[in-house]
Amino acid sequence: MMDTERLIAQLSSDVPPIRGYAVPRRIAAGLIGGAIVTLGLVIAWLGVRPDLGEAMQGGAFWMKSGYTLSLALLAILAVTRLGRPEATESPWLWLLVVPVLLLAACGVAELLRVPQTQWLAMWLGESWRVCPWRVLTLAAPIFVGLLWSFRRLAPTQLRLAGAAAGLASGSFAATLYCLHCPEVSAVFVLTWYSLGILLAALAGALLGPRLMRW
Amino acid sequence: MRYSEEELQGWMTGGLDGHAADHAMLLRALVPLLGGFYRRHARGNDADIEDLVQETLIAVHTRRGTYDRGRPFTAWLFAIARYKMIDHFRRNRRLVPIEGMEEELICAGFGDASDARMDVAALLGTLPPKQAAAIRATRIEGLSVAEAAARSGIGESDVKVSVHRGIKTLFARIQGDR
Repeated sequence: MMDTERLIAQLSSDVPPIRGYAVPRRIAAGLIGGAIVTLGLVIAWLGVRPDLGEAMQGGAFWMKSGYTLSLALLAILAVTRLGRPEATESPWLWLLVVPVLLLAACGVAELLRVPQTQWLAMWLGESWRVCPWRVLTLAAPIFVGLLWSFRRLAPTQLRLAGAAAGLASGSFAATLYCLHCPEVSAVFVLTWYSLGILLAALAGALLGPRLMRW
Repeated sequence: MRYSEEELQGWMTGGLDGHAADHAMLLRALVPLLGGFYRRHARGNDADIEDLVQETLIAVHTRRGTYDRGRPFTAWLFAIARYKMIDHFRRNRRLVPIEGMEEELICAGFGDASDARMDVAALLGTLPPKQAAAIRATRIEGLSVAEAAARSGIGESDVKVSVHRGIKTLFARIQGDR
């Protein structure tokens, strides 16, 4: 074992200045890096929906991406907090119920407008079988980007930090998946998008303690 | 030598601004602070403690970007120190945490109990065999006076008298020892 005085001398020989907001910068870098890969996957593997311009005029597109993006922003705030050693929990995560409840309200309003015979078709859409798995797959590059960010951060609650990182990856991935997905119903998004995001959070919670140790 | 929160925070901020001398001052000041922290919270030999202090110094160095200027420095430091300690316990079982040491306490209780048994055995050894046997039978093994009398083939009153005299002698001996 090296003696402590020599260790200190060695560590002090390399002291580059640290800019302000180092934690958010590092997280943004990992997030954007991962998101570029995910965007590439959406374009090359799934393809952007041909009627995207038209869809962006309507409400359903913004309802979907608004839901996933608000989850993503809350999750990334939690990640930023949990990257510091003093954080033991994140109050941001409790706010996640707000977008969920808003979307649920949209879903109820939507169901009340159509006859009951259409409910099942609305809920399952065209792609319920693949939607959660696609969201989970698209989350992987973003999760890897965030793991890279965490290599310079100091999380002390690894499971929670992993879950928050998974949640952020899943919801950003779902936001980008909106560029492809033609589904329009709120109950579809509430169920199948959320399931994919939840799977990503679960994967993060399982992987966090293993991959975020420092 | 204790350093104040302001001094430590000043050196930390200096290090973040790229001043190597401040950073070195900080790390040197942390050595006794962390050593004290780990000795209070863990039992282990000096090499283990030093190992842990060094790991924490490296962590403070490599993760210094996670310190937010203006927040309390020691809260940040001890959060890292605590994490490093728990991580160390997990990887390397030589260091034992003092907090949450239930198993350790149960073992220590067992040790006390066996010490007490040995003391009793030694004391009884100093009594005449009849008194010692009567005390062992009625007070330690929990037999009734009648059972003890039947076992050693003496009268019940003889057992009672032996127990009484023996305990009186033991009391006198213990008090005499003080």
